Amino acid sequence: MSPTLHYDAVVLGAGVAGLTAAARLAEGGARVCVLAKGVGSTHLAPGTIGVLGYDPERVEKPADALPGFIAAHPDHPYALFGADAVAPALEWFADRVEAGPQPGYRYTGGLERNHFLPTAVGALRPSALVPETMAAGDTNAPVCVVGLPVLRDFYASLCAGNLRRGGIEARAVEIEVEVGRVEANALGLARRFDDPAFRAAFAGRLALLLRPGERVAMPAILGLRDPHGAWSDIQRRLGGPVFEVPTLPPSVPGIRVYNALVAALRAAGARLIVGAEALGVEREGERVTAVRAHTSGHDTLFSARWVVLATGGFASGAITLGSDWQPHETIVGLALRGMPAPGEPRFAGDYFGPQPMSNVGVAVDSGLLAEGTENVFVAGAALPGAVPWREGSGEGIALASGHCVAQSVREREGAAAAA
Amino acid sequence: MEKLSTDVLVIGGGATGAGVAWDAALRGLDVVLVERGDLGTGTSGRFHGLLHSGGRYAVKDPSAADECARENLIVRHIAPDAIEDTGGFFVTTPFDDPAYADRFAQGCRDTGVPCEEIEPAQALREEPRLNPRVSRAFRVPDASIDVWRLVWALARGAQERGARVLPYHEAVAVHRDGDEIKGARVRNSRTGDELDVEARITVSASGAWAGKIAGLAGIEGVQVRPGRGIMIAMNHRLVNTVVNRCQMPTDGDIIVPIRTVCVVGTTDVDTEDPDDHSVIQDEVDAMLAYGERLVPGFKDARALRVWTGVRPLFEDTKGNGDGGSSRDVTRAHALLDHMDRDGVSGFFTITGGKLTTYRLMAQDTVDAVCRQLGDPRPCTTATERLPGSHDGEYIRVEDRLGRRERHLRDDQLICECELIPRRRIEDTIRQRGTTDLDDVRRLLRLGMGPCQGGFCIYRAAGILHGHDGIDTSQANRALVDYVLERWKGVWPILYGDQLRQARLDDWIFQGVLDIEHLP
Repeated sequence: MSPTLHYDAVVLGAGVAGLTAAARLAEGGARVCVLAKGVGSTHLAPGTIGVLGYDPERVEKPADALPGFIAAHPDHPYALFGADAVAPALEWFADRVEAGPQPGYRYTGGLERNHFLPTAVGALRPSALVPETMAAGDTNAPVCVVGLPVLRDFYASLCAGNLRRGGIEARAVEIEVEVGRVEANALGLARRFDDPAFRAAFAGRLALLLRPGERVAMPAILGLRDPHGAWSDIQRRLGGPVFEVPTLPPSVPGIRVYNALVAALRAAGARLIVGAEALGVEREGERVTAVRAHTSGHDTLFSARWVVLATGGFASGAITLGSDWQPHETIVGLALRGMPAPGEPRFAGDYFGPQPMSNVGVAVDSGLLAEGTENVFVAGAALPGAVPWREGSGEGIALASGHCVAQSVREREGAAAAA
Repeated sequence: MEKLSTDVLVIGGGATGAGVAWDAALRGLDVVLVERGDLGTGTSGRFHGLLHSGGRYAVKDPSAADECARENLIVRHIAPDAIEDTGGFFVTTPFDDPAYADRFAQGCRDTGVPCEEIEPAQALREEPRLNPRVSRAFRVPDASIDVWRLVWALARGAQERGARVLPYHEAVAVHRDGDEIKGARVRNSRTGDELDVEARITVSASGAWAGKIAGLAGIEGVQVRPGRGIMIAMNHRLVNTVVNRCQMPTDGDIIVPIRTVCVVGTTDVDTEDPDDHSVIQDEVDAMLAYGERLVPGFKDARALRVWTGVRPLFEDTKGNGDGGSSRDVTRAHALLDHMDRDGVSGFFTITGGKLTTYRLMAQDTVDAVCRQLGDPRPCTTATERLPGSHDGEYIRVEDRLGRRERHLRDDQLICECELIPRRRIEDTIRQRGTTDLDDVRRLLRLGMGPCQGGFCIYRAAGILHGHDGIDTSQANRALVDYVLERWKGVWPILYGDQLRQARLDDWIFQGVLDIEHLP
């Protein structure tokens, strides 16, 4: 017999969608538990909040573009909850980050216009809401891109070269730092930048190389515990705008997002168990009564009135494609939508072209209730019809669907209470 | 136009062409080798990596078996640096005709293929993932061979003896003066510059493309039927021994462990165009099912990549050229002296054959070249070790760990799947003078592991850009070309965990780096 724990809602997945849905439910007074196999996509993503970046041409003003996008893509998640659901979700997110455990760290922007921020190859990628530590990337002023040879995941000269090709005056410099080994990743370096003495030494050497009026672009490594402190300190020492450029995982700005949302979740009284892999569910008819998860050394039943599936799509393994080319949702066995018809291509040879299988996700109604269930809701990348890495829409979908799910649950709770 | 003058011009830089260049250079002839792509990018670079023991042909084609058995020993001696001594099994699975095993054993005895019957339990002890219902098992000296190491060792050896090796030079015209071939005009596919190569003898070692080169020389009827085969690499070595099904050669009858992966192969489908690399979905499904017969659970490993290659199956329309399906056409090689065949001097075509017999093909060719030059010189390729092979050590799959261990503290690891440090990438870029990361891949296996370049290709492009004279547009091209090239072999087999990996790579290339919108 597995031990059973009782909650109002069990949320599966600790990416942006799951953490948002869980925090919103908990803020509404529900007893919530998040079960996560591991950390979510936050640690891979650039940490910016993209709502609509490409359609397929680059989008300048997401607020203006969303209604047309939704009309043209009736199967897209945005069509389920509507353009109006996005702005409040973004505001909530910005508030939670600001109130979070990273003092002073905040996001800037919104749906009015996209920021075009340099990527690690020097392309300009659109995002609606961006960390303050990246905002100065969105101008055409001259820039000095700073590389650290010890960081094998960022190449300043390639980034600067492409910024130049894009018409921005840019050059690259390298600063050697001593970390006791020949290579370090972004996370290790970010921890170093939390140390004021390390920052001071770094900024002192960099200052000698800068020219007047130059912005400074750095790989996104400016602090993990106190990014606002690290970034403002460096900026003050250099006397000009400094911005971070996201690069290969592990993503430091993404981890900050995770930390902020987890703090919001805990502040609202919810529980998060990382390392608890959901194995399956118990049901009564179309109602899922409990989730069975593997927790440290044994299985535990988490009973709940509501289940939120925010486990992601193919990238997380929550939806799999078998060698028989049939996709499956692995935990609840939910019905899927968006599969290419039998005999149709699953993927296509043109890498940048449409990839039919990418549209697969869990079939839901307009309240994000999974088809064939009474109480399983779906948020984030498990939803069908989106290609977030191409659209630049992943975080917008995650935040808005997380909100939408919490709203749906509240409405049903209200209806049940009234009855 | 620039001109070169040489004794022997070799057209085609696969194993055969590089072998001819090495053989001729060893005999003191001056050689120019041209290849339209990089070395080893035609049939040589598109097979499963098997160095035949001869067992596969023991029943069906005894002379090919005999040839393979002899060449296997020689190639092991001269090129151990390109070979992993995996050994091989022929096993009778429940899907095979049990009567074939005795014919197989007899065939091996008749042809000199070393073969020892072992208890199926012994085979299972050595290869625990093998189908437990195997009823007979034979041990043969199959091995796996890293063809790019082989081809580059041949090319380097030839270069050390004065040969000029010109990858990315395509023959666009063959110079014919009456009944005499006097060389060819080649075009540098990267610069567009053309070059005239004047040669006493021109050798077409262009495999499945031999008909085309003969056509340039105005010689008709050289027909090479491309037999297309599909191969799938799985993300780790499900077996450490080459495993063959003990039956007549058929589709999907072999799994070859090579470097960090294992490869299941293959099919044999007639095709018109040797450059047609399209992958048929039914063939993918069939190949995965065949893998399952040899190694139950095969499909649950990650299929990393699929590719096709074309066997050059020679049919001379001047002889009796009608023969059933391409699997029935001879695997033997064909050396055409166009003096004898067409009355045209100074021109030879060497085609057909198989990688295991590349050396013999080269020897036959250069013998004939010397005869026509009236200057017989002895062949020494059976005893002369290739550059890199002088210590006689085979590749061992664990060596890369030892190498990595030695440089753990002084060099960054760039390709984590294949354990490639930064300095090796920089050295290779410098030595090859290339801006193409696919050239680096073939030499170092850059990006050939489970992540298929997801992490290392941005890094490699950044390193490339740091090199003198390589500008941003070239680095961008290198990055994007690599991603597009990898995708070609990935999308037809995307399922299971490899789809998950591909999606992570999508997030990196599109979601984080946005390489589609590079300026």
